[in-house]
This record gives sequence, structure tokens and C-alpha cells, in this order.
Amino acid sequence: MSGDRQRLLAAEGLTKTFGGLRAVIDVSFTVAEGEILGLVGPNGSGKTTVLNLIAGALRTDAGRVRLAGRDITRLPPSTRTRLGIARTFQLVRPLRNLSAADNVLVARLYGRERADFSAARSDSLRLLDLVGLRGKAQMLATRLTLTERKRLEIARALATQPIVLLLDEPLSGLNPTEVDTALSLLRTIRKVGITLVIVEHNVRAVRALCDRVVVLNSGRRVVEGTPGEALSRPEVIEVYLGTRSARAGFDA
Amino acid sequence: MTVPRLVPPALIACGVVVLGAVPLFTSSRSLLTWGFLILLYIALAQSWNLLGGFGGQVNLGHAAFFGLGALVTRMLWLKGVPLVLALLAGTAGASLAGLIVGAPSLRLHGPYFAIGTLAVAEILRITAGNVFPEVSTLPARALAGYHLAPRYYLALGAALLTMLAAWRFGRSRFGYGLAAVREDEAVAEASGVHAFRHKLLAFVVSSALAGLTGGVFGFYHVSFYPQFAFSPLWTFDALLITFLGGVGALWGPPLGAAFFLMLREALAFRLLEVHVLIFGILFIIIVLAFPGGLVEGWRTLARRGY
Amino acid sequence: MTSIHVQNAVFGLLIGGLYGLGAVGLSLVFGVLTMLNVAHGELIMLGGYVSIWLFTLWRLDPFVSVLVAGPALFIVGAGLFWVLFRRLIHFTEEHKIKNSILIGFGLALVLQTLAILAWEADERAVTPSYAGEVLALGGVVVPLSRLAALVLAFVVLGGLHLFLTHTRQGTAIRATAEDEQGAALAGIPIGRVYLIAFGLGSALAGVAGALVSVSEAISPAIGLHWTLKALIVIVLGGMGNIFGTFVAGVFLGVVESMSGFLFGNAYREVVGLAIFLIVLSARPQGLFARS
Repeated sequence: MSGDRQRLLAAEGLTKTFGGLRAVIDVSFTVAEGEILGLVGPNGSGKTTVLNLIAGALRTDAGRVRLAGRDITRLPPSTRTRLGIARTFQLVRPLRNLSAADNVLVARLYGRERADFSAARSDSLRLLDLVGLRGKAQMLATRLTLTERKRLEIARALATQPIVLLLDEPLSGLNPTEVDTALSLLRTIRKVGITLVIVEHNVRAVRALCDRVVVLNSGRRVVEGTPGEALSRPEVIEVYLGTRSARAGFDA
Repeated sequence: MTVPRLVPPALIACGVVVLGAVPLFTSSRSLLTWGFLILLYIALAQSWNLLGGFGGQVNLGHAAFFGLGALVTRMLWLKGVPLVLALLAGTAGASLAGLIVGAPSLRLHGPYFAIGTLAVAEILRITAGNVFPEVSTLPARALAGYHLAPRYYLALGAALLTMLAAWRFGRSRFGYGLAAVREDEAVAEASGVHAFRHKLLAFVVSSALAGLTGGVFGFYHVSFYPQFAFSPLWTFDALLITFLGGVGALWGPPLGAAFFLMLREALAFRLLEVHVLIFGILFIIIVLAFPGGLVEGWRTLARRGY
Repeated sequence: MTSIHVQNAVFGLLIGGLYGLGAVGLSLVFGVLTMLNVAHGELIMLGGYVSIWLFTLWRLDPFVSVLVAGPALFIVGAGLFWVLFRRLIHFTEEHKIKNSILIGFGLALVLQTLAILAWEADERAVTPSYAGEVLALGGVVVPLSRLAALVLAFVVLGGLHLFLTHTRQGTAIRATAEDEQGAALAGIPIGRVYLIAFGLGSALAGVAGALVSVSEAISPAIGLHWTLKALIVIVLGGMGNIFGTFVAGVFLGVVESMSGFLFGNAYREVVGLAIFLIVLSARPQGLFARS
């Protein structure tokens, strides 16, 4: 089982077709324990679909998903969550008519490790504290601002006690200060030993945060490697960026 | 802090004792009948509320489960089966029907669950009418020993049971999971909540309690056509009472049932049709303009008052 | 023996055409507004009463009454949209569906009660002079008035198809059903399209009701029956396809008729339900789903 540390999470030949559109074609990669993996690529390259296939929100047409060697391809999303795969959504989706605290509480009650109510409640408040929402614990989720909802989403995902956390564009819509706060939060999460898979557009953040990136284009895996080497490959710059301004951001 | 926290349970205990003592102090038929009806309607509406309010799944076929409970219980009871067993059988039949209907339709999104349950209820109503066309009247032996008090106590039991279930639905781990499913199934799943299982369990509990309530009705009524227990009006009354009082709120159905029966009494000087018409319009207005019902209105008033 | 089966199939075909016509209006409204008006059958019932009323007052032929029932129900539908359903437009899709079902449920009761107050609870029928005439085709009997109703239903659906494909209004309706935001961006007045679509769906119910009155009894209580037929037909035939809906209606009519013969009339309704539940289980993504 020692080899499993290198293959904590494995995507093996994932394929997904929507109607006639081939969104993901034979995508494979592995994620090592404690790693931060970036999934990058232009819009429509299939990043979010890959995330949904791993989380179980979508069923793969072919291929397998393994968590610590266990085949979880056919399991529903809730079971995957209980096994240790948590996720956030690209467009934040809080449970609108529940308080911020209850949003987190549900995840704590149903996540990987069972907790009784009083433990779950205090854990939820601690998580809200971690993401800076302690003061809004009793507020209905509908009344939170967009950035607050994004932080609530991360608190909810953490409450499931994940082994692997899948984040779908956690930085989109944040201003530079908020991005810095979020980056330090993500580093804190990694420090507690949670493995991260991040779909992100912000190249600077990807360079700063990720140990490794997988570049997707038109549903296929193009390149895999450290951000430094993978993102400076000419084929990546061509498919992913093309334009001068974006290249400037890349070289930074 | 401790005193206010103990007040509600104490009040509830007093309420239950008072309700339980009513038949000891009065034998007034009209008072007991009124009490019976209000308890029956609380049970009917709260059993709908478990799935429709707490779970957010609109069941338009609630009458089918009420009707099944009434039919099974009454037939077995009139055949000499002990009442408790007959009630249990009616409850079991209704839960089984809930399982059979819920399993395919709760997997689907959009309007399927509502229209599936509507269809099932209508088909069962027609079939009940076809198979049991005769009016079901209590035999002379049963009529001679007919007392309202035991009916009243059974209705009280059913009402308390549904209230207890609703209380658990609001407080327990399962209740939180169900609330998450009501708000957003994908997020619930991502939080580890198996959405389908939660909806199905809520549906089975809801239909079981509807069946029990129907059984109490079947034991109460002197003479009715079996088809009547399947009438869509039972579903409508459950929805109207729940929406009147407050959807997804523990105290919604009791408040709604009291208001509903008083209003019906007040309108009773007219033909049956007129009150149905007024209730229909009232229901539409609540759905459109006051989705929180009386409970929400009460809270708003309380908030402004303090 | 076989001629009995053919006879049953013919009766099923004749009633099935009306099932199809009854469902098309509901399907149109759902396709364009994402609202499910479960009081659709009550609108069919009202269409039937228009025909009965005109026949009782002026001996007007039910086939002529169609010309009145359609426009009359268009106005009723547009009014219902304006007073009630318009308030749901800005809801999320899920809330729109749920609340439209709730409102429709209350509305069904209101319309049914109004009909009882206006016309009593009894069954009524129109009895034109040609009511009993039949066409005999080698042992198989085809009632002429029912045949004419089927033909007219088909003509109305053809007209609807032409309207939707060949007129500005029709194109606007289809565009809105396809992509509401895109249609709005293209300058289509969505509010008016909704109003017209709801009116049109109700008008189709009115026409269906008038045609139903030719061969079936009309009473205030028939609404739910017709709503259910329409729902089953839509689940069978899928959304947004007029002729698919018509074919599904005919299919349901024939299957019911045959099973009524096989299992007894008491259970013909159950067969429709069984089909309905089987389709729901077999196509869990749902036939309503728009891709």
C-alpha cells in the first residue's frame, strides 16, 4: 500500500460525451498525498467536467476513478464525500434558507467521520472562524455576499473532513487582497494534510500554489509537469494562451 | 436561560394533558367531533408537511395514502380483526404504496414527482370506486357500541405522532440532511447526504402517517363510499392547511388546521361548493403572496414587537 | 374475433386523437414558460361547456362552437396568465415549476366549483341530429361525428404547426422556448410571447373541450381526468413535438381501448398509469428534459 501515497487519487482514461460533444477524452493523471495539483486549460477544455467526474456529480462513459487504490467509479457523490472527496462549486451554491452555521453543520454531520451534534456544532463554528465567517454564523446563506459565500463553500467542504479537496475556480471574482487571503487559506489547508486539486484560471496563483499542473485542451490532456516547466512549453502557450497579453501574465 | 428553555416543553406537556382530558369532562358530541376533526386535520396536514414542507417535494397524491389507510383499516376491522392490527395494516399498506410510487418518481427532477403522485392518486380513486362501489356502513352491532371518545383518542395519537415526527424532522441529523436536499440536491450530495434515500424515507414516513390518519378516519366514519377517502379534496385540504399555517414549520399544520376549521364553520351556512371556492382562492393567494403562512406572519409580528 | 380488436382499435384511435389535442396545449405552455398548469383539464371542461351552452341556447353545431370555444378560452387563459402565472416569471426554474403546479392545483378546484355553481354537477352532452350516424366498413363501425372530431383535431394541430413555423409570432414563441435569454436579447418581447403562448395553450384546451363534447359527456368533474391524460401523453411523447404528442395520444387511446376489452373497463385507466410509471422509470432523465 506504500505506493498508494503517490497515487492517492487516480483518474484513469476518463471520457465523457454530452450529446455529440466530447467534453473529456481519455484523461489520466494521478495525485500524490499532500500535493496541490492544478487543472488548467482554456474555457471549454473540460476541467470542470473532470472535476465533476471525480466528485461523482457526473458518471464517466469510460475509465475509472480510484481513491487510495479503491475503485469509486460507480459510487454516488454522497458516498464519495463520505470516503473523503470534497468539492466546491464554480458558481457558489449555498443552501440558501439555512444559516451559515447550518450549511457547515450538515456537511460535518454527514462527512467522512461521524460526529455527535455538540461536537459537530463546535467544529462548524471553528471552521467558520477559519474562513473568517464566525460573525455571520447565524445569518441565512442567501444574505451573504459573493466572497462570503465562496468562503462558506470552502468551510462546508472542509467540514466533511476530506482527504482530497476539489476546488473549482476558488479565486474567480475575488480582488487582489482577497486572492492573497484565499491563497494563504489554501496553504493552511494543505498544511493539515489535505490533498488539493484546483481548477483555476489565475495563472499567477497557479504558479504560486501548485506543485504540479495538468493542462487540458479540447477535453484531452496536453502536458503534465511542474508549473514552471509545463506552462512554458510552447504547445501549452499556443493552445492555452495564444494572445500577447495573456502571455505577459504567463511570464510573470 | 434555563427557565425560558423549559417553558415550551412544559407548555406542550400541559397542552397534551388538557387535550387528553377533554373527553373526561365533556360528552358533548359537537365539542368532541370538533376536537376529533381538528386533530385529524393536524395529522393529515403534518404528514404532508413532512415531505412537502421539510423535504420540498410536492406530493399531489396524498389522498391515495390516506384512502388506502382508511380502506384497509376499515375492511379488516369490520371483518373482526382487532382495531390495533387493522390500523397497523393500513399504515403498512400506505407505506408500501409510498415505496412503490416513490422509488421511480423521486429519482426524477422537475414536475415528475408531482404529476406522478397526482396520477397514482386518481387511478387508485377510480379503482377503489370500481372495486368497492357499495357504500360502507357500520353494522348495527358496531353502531350500538359507537362512542366518540376512543375515536378522539386515536386522532390525538395520530396528531401527536405526526407532530413528533415533524419535530424530529426539524432537529435530527436526518432532518438537517433532508433540509439540505430541499435546498439543493447537488450540494447535499457534495456534503455527504444521499439525496434519494432521504427523499424516499421522508416519503415513506409521510405516506405511513397519512395511512394511519386515514385508518382513524375509517374507524370514525359511520357511513361513506370507499372512493370518498381517495378524493383529491383530502390532498387539497392537507396542502391548504399546511400553506395556511406555514410550509416546513413544525407549528404550521396545527395553526392552519385551527384556522381552516373555524373558517369552514363560519362559511357552513352556505352550500358546500362556496367554501371550496373560497378555500381555492385563498390557497392561490397564499402561494403567490404569503408563502410563509401564519407562522411566518407571527414571527414577523413578534420581531417588530420586540 | 379480429374485427372486435379492429373495432376497439378504431375507438381508441378516435378518442386518442382528442388525448393528443388535449395534451398539445399543456406541452406548449410548459415548453415556453416552464410552468405546468395542472388546471389544463379544467380548461378543456370549460371548452366543453361553451359547446353545450351554445347548443342548448341556439342549437349551434358543436363543430361550429369550436370557433367560439377557442377564442373564448384564449381570453380565459390570457387572463389567468395575467392575474396569476405572470407573477412566477422571475422565479428560478425549480420554483417556477413547483409554484405553477400549486397554483394550478388550487385553480383546478376553483374552476371546478365555479362550474358546479354555474351548471350543476350533472353530466351533459350535445345531441346533434347526426349523433348516431355511423360509417360501416366491413363489420367495423366508425361513428361519423367522432371521425369528424379526429379529422378536425388533426387539422387544428396542422394549423398550429404552420403558425409556429411560418409566422413571426410563432417563430418568437419557438425562439423563447428554445432559449429565453437569447430571444430577449434578440428583441423579442418575452412578456407578450408568454401571454400569447398561455392563451394559445388554453385555446387548444378549449377546442379540445368542444370536440370532446361531441362524443363524451361533460361535467364539472372531468378536469382532472383530462389533465392526467395530457400528462401521460406528454411523458410518452416528449416535449415540444406537436405530432409526437398527437401520436402518443393516439397510442394511449388505442392501448386503453384494447386493455379495457382485455381486462375489463374498470381497469383501462390503470394501464395508462402503468405505462406512465414504466416510462418514468425507464427514462430517468425525463422526457420533459430539454436538451
